[in-house]
Amino acid sequence: MNTLDKLTILADAAKFDASCASSGSNRKAKPGALGNAAASGICHSWSADGRCISLLKILLSNDCRLDCVYCMSRRSNHCARATFTPDEVADLTINFYRRNYIEGLFLSSAVYASPEQTMSDMVDVCHQLRTKYAFNGYIHLKVIPGAPQELVAKAGMLADRLSVNIELPSAASLKELAPQKSRQGILTPMRQIGEAASNYGAERKKSRRTPKFCPAGQSTQMIIGASAESDLHILTLSQSLYTKMQLRRVYYSAYIAVNSAPNLPMPSTAPPLVREHRLYQADWLIRFYQFQAEEILQATAPNLDERLDPKAAWALRHFDLFPLDINRASYEELLRVPGLGLTSARRIIATRRVAAIREEDLKKLGLVMKRARYFLSINGKKLVAAIPSHQDLLTAMCRLEKPAISHLSPQYRQLRLF
Amino acid sequence: MEPVVYLYDGTFAGMLHAIARAVKDGGAVHAITPTHRYTPTLFDTVITLKCDADQADRLLQYLQNLHPLAANLAVYAYLSGEGGVEMQMYSFVHLCLRRGKQALSYESHSAVAHLKGLFHAVSREAHRYKGLIRFRILADDLQYGPFEPHYNIISLCARHFRRRLAGCRWLLHDLQRNSALYWDTVDLQPVEVDTDFAAYVALHGEVPAAQLSENEQEYQQLWRAFHRAISNPARHNPQLQQQGMPQRYWKYLTEM
Repeated sequence: MNTLDKLTILADAAKFDASCASSGSNRKAKPGALGNAAASGICHSWSADGRCISLLKILLSNDCRLDCVYCMSRRSNHCARATFTPDEVADLTINFYRRNYIEGLFLSSAVYASPEQTMSDMVDVCHQLRTKYAFNGYIHLKVIPGAPQELVAKAGMLADRLSVNIELPSAASLKELAPQKSRQGILTPMRQIGEAASNYGAERKKSRRTPKFCPAGQSTQMIIGASAESDLHILTLSQSLYTKMQLRRVYYSAYIAVNSAPNLPMPSTAPPLVREHRLYQADWLIRFYQFQAEEILQATAPNLDERLDPKAAWALRHFDLFPLDINRASYEELLRVPGLGLTSARRIIATRRVAAIREEDLKKLGLVMKRARYFLSINGKKLVAAIPSHQDLLTAMCRLEKPAISHLSPQYRQLRLF
Repeated sequence: MEPVVYLYDGTFAGMLHAIARAVKDGGAVHAITPTHRYTPTLFDTVITLKCDADQADRLLQYLQNLHPLAANLAVYAYLSGEGGVEMQMYSFVHLCLRRGKQALSYESHSAVAHLKGLFHAVSREAHRYKGLIRFRILADDLQYGPFEPHYNIISLCARHFRRRLAGCRWLLHDLQRNSALYWDTVDLQPVEVDTDFAAYVALHGEVPAAQLSENEQEYQQLWRAFHRAISNPARHNPQLQQQGMPQRYWKYLTEM
């Protein structure tokens, strides 16, 4: 089999990995080596599904011996199988990198012999890239559940980012859908990476010569909609991963029905793309907007409203806190106004220090008021003539949301066939 | 005194000098513009300036000391090549003299809003092109990267690649302005590109096949195959693809 065929098979098998980030690592260029890593990350292309391509995202092999029910590469599926040699991966990475196609490599793999063997081969590929090929660009390495500690430690010294897929939001679902993977096998390396990163970080404060361990941190991915967990459950889990395991990112991947099994959604089910979108919005609220999962959702209504973004839903539930005065509200309060983001809030605070904001300044500040106008006032003056009733406001907010989600919802996608 | 029109030579130093001079003169200013863009009218009092690099330097240093961002606003405004930025800079410098460092936070001031907007637009395009430039490896192992940016960002891109691809010889070619920068692994210098070659590239969006290195087309094919395979048909969403990568960038992209 030639490289082209292998690449087609192994990139196709990697398309379910959601992560694309190449940010967070500030790897300086070294004389004699190829490349560096930009802290902000750089997108190099966008594929036809609208996701950005920044890394050469491939599997080392898709010849899996596991039989996870939801997975396309599971053992009992009949699909084309291929395995790269380390030199092939290195050659592709270097040549794509020189032509500026990619920012680096994202290497994952199916478990082909044993978890130890697979992980060892993947680490070997990275090792060769870093030493034999003097590659100094970004590497994201997937950690195979059940990989031995010393390999994970070695991987952290070579890669910029490591990730262990948590796969499903609860141990029960994992047991049902991926019986050969254990919760423990996933959480142990995750904890090890978190601890090692903070230990090396502490050492680096004492001596700058300490090497960096996994400088772009670790991330994980879970499948949404293959099992029955509520959004509240998922967000609480993500929140604890961020605070307890120091994860940088949790990726949510809408389940795409590739297999049929009695304990899975029907193969004809559309992937829950709107739900995934809402989860990402809620995730952003937790990471950047100082929200707690328990504020976004309660046990009485444990799922996100698909028609409305979670911040607007929160603001409508707490409408008694509004309107906030744009010249008086604190940064934290401004972050909670629907339609204002981090940049807008920062800009409002910065400008206020120099001059009070007037109504005619809003446009110059680049603030988008179509949502925010219901929730803000300027020096005691409301920005809308009359605040609509709760029901009308809800309708208005939902209408504003429609364009953003219309191309994700199944009804619309169906219609496009004709 | 009549409102004055200042004309300068179109260089960055010339622009700074003209602004410094206008501020120093203290009179009413009608316009500051490069000579080649100026259309004479009957009523203008025109002052044509000869660039004084020393004064320009002092203004830049003043802005730099105020805040690195203030100096960057001047640089990026110049790189944007848009008409009227000189007057915005003039009014920004006035504001800086009155308010000091605070001027940078005064985002509801029209000059600050305008200059920061341009700064973001130019740096956004430069950032996009850091990812979207595609190098073709030519027969003599030179990496050739053609692109057509809206703003004059070739120097910003070159600064990125001289770090990243320090050990490779590459040439960035802005076909919009027909300017090119060549990195020979030690130095960066402006070069002229052969006009026939440039015309061919601008027409086809690709380098003549005869000039490519032996396995260049093979890697291009591999990249196209990867680009196709990594897309998930169940999530097909061309609008989102275009949002990330508008069509004006497609011409020199190997994969589109």
